Amino acid sequence: MIGLRVEHLRKTFNLSKKQRKIERTDVRRKIAVDDVSFEAKPGEIFGLLGPNGAGKTTALRCIATLIKPDSGDVFVGEHSAVKDSAMVRKNIAFLTNEMKLEDHFTPNYLFTYFARLHGVDEADIEPRKAVLFERFGVDKFREVKVADLSTGMKQKVSIAVSLVHDPDTIIFDEPTNGLDVLTARTVTDYLQAMAQAGKTVIMSTHILHVAQKLCDRIGIIIGGKIKALDTIENIRAISPNEDMEALFFKLVEESEAPDYA
Amino acid sequence: MRNIWTMFKKEVYRVLSDARLVVMVFIVPGLSIFVMYSLMGNIMQGQADAVEEHEIIMIAENLPQDLKTMLEARDLEGNQSQLNITIDGREAMDDDTLEQKILDGDIDIALLFDEDFAEKIANPDLHAPPSLHILYNHGRQPSSFAYNRVNMVLMEYRERALIERLEDPNHYIVFEHLPVQIADERVVSGQAMAMLMPMLVIIFLFAGAMSIGPDAIAGEKERNTIATLLITPTKRSEIAIGKVASLAVLSLASALSSFIGILAGLQNLMGEDASAGLSIYGLSEYVLILLLLMSTVLFIVGLIAVVSAFAKTIKEASMLIMPFYFVTIIVGVASSFGAEPATAWFVHLIPLYGATNALSAVFTFNVSLLNIGIVCAASVVYTIVLVFILNRMFQSERIMFQK
Ligand SMILES: Nc1ncnc2c1ncn2[C@@H]1O[C@H](COP(=O)(O)OP(=O)(O)OP(=O)(O)O)[C@@H](O)[C@H]1O
Ligand SMILES: [Mg+2]
Repeated sequence: MIGLRVEHLRKTFNLSKKQRKIERTDVRRKIAVDDVSFEAKPGEIFGLLGPNGAGKTTALRCIATLIKPDSGDVFVGEHSAVKDSAMVRKNIAFLTNEMKLEDHFTPNYLFTYFARLHGVDEADIEPRKAVLFERFGVDKFREVKVADLSTGMKQKVSIAVSLVHDPDTIIFDEPTNGLDVLTARTVTDYLQAMAQAGKTVIMSTHILHVAQKLCDRIGIIIGGKIKALDTIENIRAISPNEDMEALFFKLVEESEAPDYA
Repeated sequence: MRNIWTMFKKEVYRVLSDARLVVMVFIVPGLSIFVMYSLMGNIMQGQADAVEEHEIIMIAENLPQDLKTMLEARDLEGNQSQLNITIDGREAMDDDTLEQKILDGDIDIALLFDEDFAEKIANPDLHAPPSLHILYNHGRQPSSFAYNRVNMVLMEYRERALIERLEDPNHYIVFEHLPVQIADERVVSGQAMAMLMPMLVIIFLFAGAMSIGPDAIAGEKERNTIATLLITPTKRSEIAIGKVASLAVLSLASALSSFIGILAGLQNLMGEDASAGLSIYGLSEYVLILLLLMSTVLFIVGLIAVVSAFAKTIKEASMLIMPFYFVTIIVGVASSFGAEPATAWFVHLIPLYGATNALSAVFTFNVSLLNIGIVCAASVVYTIVLVFILNRMFQSERIMFQK
């Protein structure tokens, strides 16, 4: 089993005129991810916790090789995301809310299609499909076009499809967003089972209690920077009098303060 | 390679399994051309028939009797042999009324002979020939048709009068006029094909590719499905080739639909002899035509793919492609109505123009294998360059994800 190491990841975006207006800034470059480093080990669930706009999705997209970091690198096992992106993609499952499946096709068709593109052996496709479709309740609508599915159903199909190749590292961006409690539970149960099976799981969330319940270790990311990085217990130990929520609020407030000064 | 094939199948399935797209891409082009040609043919035929059948209303003043007989001549079965004509006298009509009636179309033509016309024809005075005023309306089809027809009769009348004046009618014959056709009939019919086909070929290939290309690439960006594809270990070059190859085959099929429409419609447009058009070509011509088509479609599809990858939405892609479409139409028209196809080898390096040029040459049986080879080789090189650019575009996060 292989772990994942993020080293001094930095990602900036050029802001268009429109974006500058929305963000009320004259700065042309936005630092979305600022010197982020962490490590996720096999067998654990690592959580990136942060408010909206903190840079969670951007960091995960860099890790998944969809976008290139300005500097820093990510290693999945020994494969560098910068230099060897195809090998990294082979070894990870990645899903964000912005990644959609084509409306015209059925879950059944798409699963086979992506299994092939991921290089899964023909003989392994159907058994794997059976397992994942069962697990995420896709069976009932496996022949319904994606266009005709509800948001939650689409999310389930996306999760199943992202896992076609049974990778050692699973990277999910807000995986329970938009799902009802039951389905959310299926997903979190699955992630825990995967960690128990020795896989490396990385997920992001903006909801504290989700992180608390699920993650073995978390990195609190605010304004692109990692503000705290440890197990939940150790982070709580920083200020034993406060509960976790208050601590989270304090961290968020601190980093926002300069904006109002 | 396996990935290219996987993508290819999926892209083709995408179009073939969508009734709306099948109709749009494979049925509408052929059907609309067929309907358009048939309608045009019908209208043109109808117009011609209407003019043929139209009864010429003629006013004649001092019309010589022998000419009247000629105008009204009938064939042996009693059918009017030349003209369907009614001839009335001028009665008391003044000049203005007569002109107005011709303008209004109540009268098609008026022949106003000098009072002593017949007399002077019989006893000619070489220094003062009699005159005939013909009034007709050039702006009305029946009227100008009447003028042409009546003119033919008048010419015959004049000839007869002339022959009568000569002591020996044989003096009338200055020389015998004996044209001999030695053209190769195939090349003659080929010329018509060469004029029409290359233009239609590239315009339809382009239109076919244009109806699916933007959706397959810009559409994936617009609908956020591209990331799902890019997250697979598939090489970007494989994605580029898979897209271009599937688009090429689909566009070729779409163009084929247009051809069937052209062939079926041509018969309705130009009558029976049009159907002979394509049968004059043999297997070797068809192989060369197919080869040229394939190399052209690759270039067109590569171009459309690159433009579509650049656009953020399907709409933007369609708009960006428009200028290229217009250039294509101009190239098509230029090669159809231009002079003879150019034979210089370097002309065949020009994208699209080289291909239409070579197509014209094949259609007129002036095949130059060297030039066709240059067209194909150049197209392959251009396509490789375009696929390479597309590959780079798939690697660029700015191009793939910028909203
Ligand atoms: N393509 C882009 N161009 C410009 N700015 C961007 C781009 N993508 C993200 N950003 C900016 O980078 C910052 C981090 O965005 P990101 O999507 O990573 O946040 P997030 O933590 O995932 O937030 P959320 O919880 O709302 O999903 C934001 O300020 C966002 O505006
Ligand atoms: Mg996000």
